[in-house]
Amino acid sequence: MEKFTKAFPSKPLKTTAGKPWALAGVVGSGNLEVLVERGGRPSDAMECHIETSIPGYKASWLAALADFAHHYPAGGTKVTINDQGAPPVLVTLRLRQAYDHLVKGSK
Amino acid sequence: MTRGPLFHEQTARQRIAAVVDRGSFDELLPPPERLTSPYLAQLGIPVSFDDGVVIGRARIGGKKVYLAAQVGQFVGGAVGEIHGAKLTGLFKAAARDRVPCVLIVESGGVRLHEGSAGEIAIAETMRAIFECRALKVPTIAVIGTDIGAYGGIGILSTCCDFRVMTEHGRLGISGPIVIEKWMGKKAYDSSNRALVWKTSGGKTKYLLGDAEALVHDDAGAVREAIGKLLAKSSPVTLKNVKARQKDLEKRLKRFGKTGDPDDVWKGMGVRDVARASLASGPEFAAMAKAGRR
Amino acid sequence: MKTQSPRALLGKLFGASAKGIAIENSLLTGYAKVGGKDVCVIGTCNGTYIGNASALRLAAQVIECIERRPRTPIVMLVDSAGQEPNRADEMLGLASYFGHLLGCLELARRKGHRLITIATGKAVGGAFLCYGMFADRIYALESASVGLMPIAAMSAVTKIPAPVLQKLSKTMPSLEFGAKPFALLGGVEEVWPASGDLQARLAKAIATATVDDNRAALGKKRGGRKLALDIRNRVLAQSAK
Repeated sequence: MEKFTKAFPSKPLKTTAGKPWALAGVVGSGNLEVLVERGGRPSDAMECHIETSIPGYKASWLAALADFAHHYPAGGTKVTINDQGAPPVLVTLRLRQAYDHLVKGSK
Repeated sequence: MTRGPLFHEQTARQRIAAVVDRGSFDELLPPPERLTSPYLAQLGIPVSFDDGVVIGRARIGGKKVYLAAQVGQFVGGAVGEIHGAKLTGLFKAAARDRVPCVLIVESGGVRLHEGSAGEIAIAETMRAIFECRALKVPTIAVIGTDIGAYGGIGILSTCCDFRVMTEHGRLGISGPIVIEKWMGKKAYDSSNRALVWKTSGGKTKYLLGDAEALVHDDAGAVREAIGKLLAKSSPVTLKNVKARQKDLEKRLKRFGKTGDPDDVWKGMGVRDVARASLASGPEFAAMAKAGRR
Repeated sequence: MKTQSPRALLGKLFGASAKGIAIENSLLTGYAKVGGKDVCVIGTCNGTYIGNASALRLAAQVIECIERRPRTPIVMLVDSAGQEPNRADEMLGLASYFGHLLGCLELARRKGHRLITIATGKAVGGAFLCYGMFADRIYALESASVGLMPIAAMSAVTKIPAPVLQKLSKTMPSLEFGAKPFALLGGVEEVWPASGDLQARLAKAIATATVDDNRAALGKKRGGRKLALDIRNRVLAQSAK
């Protein structure tokens, strides 16, 4: 297992409505779960905590998360990920899904 | 006609959302509480925020229910210490509040990585299920996936008042691979899907009377079946256990010598085995009923 | 001690009254006396496998006890290697046969029969779950093999090297196999040395048994299963809001 934590600059979340947290994905082979919560610090950054079963890909994780934080206003959120070897495209998809659920409150 | 994903294709959270009244699910011990398995963490295996079981309360057809759904993708939905304690707590809450409890099963049994803790948790949950039954609080197991209900969870499922199955669901204790290893490939070829499903699948279980409903592989159909059972219970009385004893004795006497599930199907009223194999759950149920007339 | 015959063990537990217990196909059924009072006995011996027919036989004995000997305590002896992996039994609903046996025991409990288990030999898997673990109070002989499975077997299935599991089991007794670690988890009330006065111990066990399931509390107190009780209580607290 490899663990790392990093905050990425991001515009603050636009809305205070919606849910306090949202989850996307499942921990299983080639899959991951992404939990996005309000109340991350600081408010102009997306706080990320990653645990992955496949070590050695920290750089690509950081790139994917930085990219997401840049494109979506996710400042003040806390993202926690349990990963079991998901491909990068799935990481981005789950992030999007969890983020959408959080801001739109849809389930 | 458009349709959503089949019940067996859905994740645990999707199943819950599709089975309960829209937006009525209130999760207990939700992911932000981060109650994850210390055993898996120590072994370097990924953990999950819900430890493989989503629990909470909701409404189905306006009626209050407690509800759990196991996450088959996560370590086979197997029961560890936390997972099991969530289930025990849920059934205990159901007994306390006199609210029916539904378990959407997807589990191979005890989580081996956590050793005996999961085994004891299953035993504790069985006790809690029977607490509900003593109070006539309905308990329902829904079994509708390939992972099905196996090992201790197979036994636990039979402790509930009712079982709702789909033709995808499997109910048993030892899985086909274990049996093949034990008896040899001649006696049980675990790669023979038709035989595996005829041995442990929903159709055979329904025929024998071990599942009360056999429904389409669809959350709407599962929801409807649950709705019909919520007002019923199957109390553990002397009369009932004696009737069950007789029924199980009869079953063993009648079919105990045969190893062929087709004999069971025919004996239970299925006239055209080939056609019945291809039939959907409800069609199958109707065929068996017609054959018994 | 492991080689002692089933009869010898029954003699130790029930004295001369053990003659009222039949041993047939490694299944134990009958009545005996403990401290001068009647008990019903069901169980397994010789490490036998349990299948549909044996579950039914034990269930029949429980039903008979409920009908003919109201409130008589039921002593369950467990020495079974598990459910036999057998396709015919599975097809006919092994899980349901086990569930039925549990239902009969539950009825007995509700009707005032105390349920006491003694793990005497192998007490593993489905064979322990389908009756022994359902008692009011569970005891184990020191020599009994109690638990999910030995570390070697766990390693073979999970593909985790045995030395890793061995090392972890020092701090996680759940991974260890045997009566003592199982007691640390609360799964067994007390481990009995084979040399002691088993009749007196059993009499006391019957006299002190209550129907509350105390295993999670015991597991926390003994430190072998630290989370179960708290998690359960957390569910109960949150759902009460």
